[in-house]
Amino acid sequence: MNLKRLLIALSLLIALPVIAADGNEILKKVDRNLEPESYEMYRKLINIEPSGARKEFVLYSVKKGRDKVVALFLAPSSDKGRATLRQAENMWLYIPNVGKPVRITSLQSVVGGVFNNADILRLDYTEEYNAEGVEEQKDAYILALKARTNDVAYDKLKMWVDRKLLLPTKIEAYAASGLMIKTLYFKDIKDFGGGIRRPATVETDSPLYKGHKSVMLYSQVKKRDFPDEVFTLNYLSRVEDLRK
Amino acid sequence: MPLRALAVGIALLLVCGAPRAQDFTFDASEFEKKPFELGGYIELKLQHYQLNQDSTLYKLGFYNQPRDSLDQTTLTLKPEGRLRSGAFTLNARAHLEGDWETRQFDREFRWDEFYGSYKPDPGFTLDAGKIALKWGKGYAWTTVGFVERLKDPNDPDLARQGFTMLAADYIRNFDGALRTVAFTPVLLPVTADVNSDFGSTGHLNAAAKLYLLYNDTDIDFMILSNGSRSRRVGVDFSRNLGSNLEIHGEWARIYDTQRPVIDASGKVAIKQQDAVSSFLLGTRYLTKSDATWIFEYYRNGPGYNETELQAFYSYVDTAYAQYLASGNDAPLQRASNVSRSGVARPNPGRDYLYLRVSQKEPFDILYFTPAITFIVNANDRSFSATPEVLYTGINNLELRVRAFFLVGDQGTEFGERVNSRRLELQARLFF
Repeated sequence: MNLKRLLIALSLLIALPVIAADGNEILKKVDRNLEPESYEMYRKLINIEPSGARKEFVLYSVKKGRDKVVALFLAPSSDKGRATLRQAENMWLYIPNVGKPVRITSLQSVVGGVFNNADILRLDYTEEYNAEGVEEQKDAYILALKARTNDVAYDKLKMWVDRKLLLPTKIEAYAASGLMIKTLYFKDIKDFGGGIRRPATVETDSPLYKGHKSVMLYSQVKKRDFPDEVFTLNYLSRVEDLRK
Repeated sequence: MPLRALAVGIALLLVCGAPRAQDFTFDASEFEKKPFELGGYIELKLQHYQLNQDSTLYKLGFYNQPRDSLDQTTLTLKPEGRLRSGAFTLNARAHLEGDWETRQFDREFRWDEFYGSYKPDPGFTLDAGKIALKWGKGYAWTTVGFVERLKDPNDPDLARQGFTMLAADYIRNFDGALRTVAFTPVLLPVTADVNSDFGSTGHLNAAAKLYLLYNDTDIDFMILSNGSRSRRVGVDFSRNLGSNLEIHGEWARIYDTQRPVIDASGKVAIKQQDAVSSFLLGTRYLTKSDATWIFEYYRNGPGYNETELQAFYSYVDTAYAQYLASGNDAPLQRASNVSRSGVARPNPGRDYLYLRVSQKEPFDILYFTPAITFIVNANDRSFSATPEVLYTGINNLELRVRAFFLVGDQGTEFGERVNSRRLELQARLFF
C-alpha cells in the first residue's frame, strides 16, 4: 500500500511540470503568433493629445531573425526618409538632411508621444524577457516577465495572454523601481493572410502622459526574408529600395 | 413637425459625421512605392543682429558703412527628387535662396546633391555625381570629415553641399563579435571647374572609410591621400553604455599643415607643421525626465593659438585706426583676406567645449522642445549661449525661435565676433 502511494506521488511529481503552463513556451508561441521571425509590414502610429489633436506617422518595417529590425518613415513629409535600425541593443537613427546615422537609445522616442524606440523597433519578447511566473485564469494566462539584461527598456512586463489564441490582450510595462511606465492594449484581431492572424491595433497610454494616447495600426504583415546587409548603417539611406 | 424632423436629421448627421475617438483605419496601399518622388521644404528665416561695434570682425565688415544692427530675411527652397528604374536611381537636391539683408539683396542657386546610384544588390552600391558624404561621430564638430564641407556647430544638422565624386559602398555581415564590415572608397577630382573649393587643382584625390561594428561598438578608419589637401588619417568610435547613455570620439592626424598668420605689424606668414592631431570626445545622456544632454570636447589641432589670434585682433585695431585717420582701407582689406581663410571661420581656436541640453515635451506639451546650447572657447573662456524653443505639433511645419548671446572680453573669440546678440525666427514647411 505504501509502495502504491509512493508510486502515485512520484508519478504526480513527474506529471506536474508537463501539466503546469511553461511561461517561456507560451511566450515563444505569442512571439510567433504576433509576427513571423522575418517579415515586412506597414504601421501607422497615431499620437492623440488630450485636446483630440492627432499626429500620424507611417512606417515600413522589416525584421530578420532574433534581433535585427529596420523601420523607414513614409509619412509625414517632415519625417519621410528617416530610418531607424536595431541590432540587438544597438539602435541608430538616420535623418536624410543630417546624412549620417547617429546612435539613439531605447528609451528615447523618434516619434514623440507614448511609444518609445523600443516599442517601435520591438524584438521578440523571448529575446528580451524571461518568464518568471504564470498565473492561469479561465480565459487567460498572466505572464510575469523579467528583462534578461539591464539594457532592455522595461525591467518587468505583466502580459495577459488569450488562452485559446495565444495572443496578448494587454501588457503593463514597469521600470526597475516598480513604477508603471505604460499599458499596451492589443485589439481588433485580423487575418493578414499567409497564416498570420493577429491584433491589427495596439493602443497605449501612460500615467506619465496623462490624457495622451498613442495607437499603432498594422497593415500588410507578410513573411519575407532579407539579406543581412540590409540591417547595417550603410544601408539605412537605401531602405526604400526594399519596398516592392 | 417638419422643423422637428429637420432638427432630428441635423442631430443625426452631426452624430454620424463626428469622428469617433476610437475610429482608426489604415490601408498601406495608399503608400505604394512610386518610380518618381518629389519632396523637400521651404523655409523662412528672420534674423535680427545686434552688432558689436568694438569687435574685430565688425571693423572688417562694416568699417565703411557703420551701423548698430542688421536685419536679414532669408527664403530658402530645398526641393529634392528621386527617379528609380531597376537597379538605377537618380537623386537630386537643389538649394534656392533669396536673402534680403539691410544693405543688399543676394540670391543663390546650387545643387547640393545630384548623383546617380547603381545598386545591383544590398551589399554593393556605386554612386557618381555630386554627393554630400558625412563622416565622423561628432555632433557639433568633426575631425574626420575629410571629403565634406565644414560643419557649423550652430547648425550641425543642416544639410550641406556635397562634392563631385565617384564613391562605392561594399557591405558584409557576419556572426560573432565582428558583425558588420563596410568599405567606402572615394575618388574626388579637383580641377578649375570641378570641386575647385576643395583644395589645389590638378589632383585626383583618393579617400576611403572602413566601418566595423565590433562588440557593439561602431568603429571607422579613414584616410585621404596627399593631393588637393594634405594627407590625413583618422579613426572614430561610438558606443551605447546603457539604454540612456552613448559615448563617441574621433581622432585625426593631419600631415603637412599650413595656415596664414598675420602679426601685429601686418606681416603675413604661412606657418607650416609636419603633422598635427585633432580629436573629439563626446557623450549623449538621456535623463529620467527626458532631457537629453550632449557634451563634447574638441581639440582643433591646426587651429590658431591665443597669441596668434591676439596678434590678428591687434593688427585689425591698428588698421582700423589708420582707416579712420587717413581713409586708407588697404590694411583692413589685407586682414579681411587673411581672416576668410582662417580666423573668420567658425571656431578657429584650439580647444572648445559644447553643451546642449534639450527637454522633450515639458509640462506634457507634445512636440514642444526647449533647449539651450553653449559653445565655449576653453582657451580664452569666451562663449555663446543659445536658448531655443522648437515646436513640431502642426503636421509638416517646424517652428523654431533662437536667441544667441555672445559673451567675451575684447581680444577673445566670441568678444570679437561681428554681433553680440542675434534673434532668429524660423518656419520650415515640408512638402
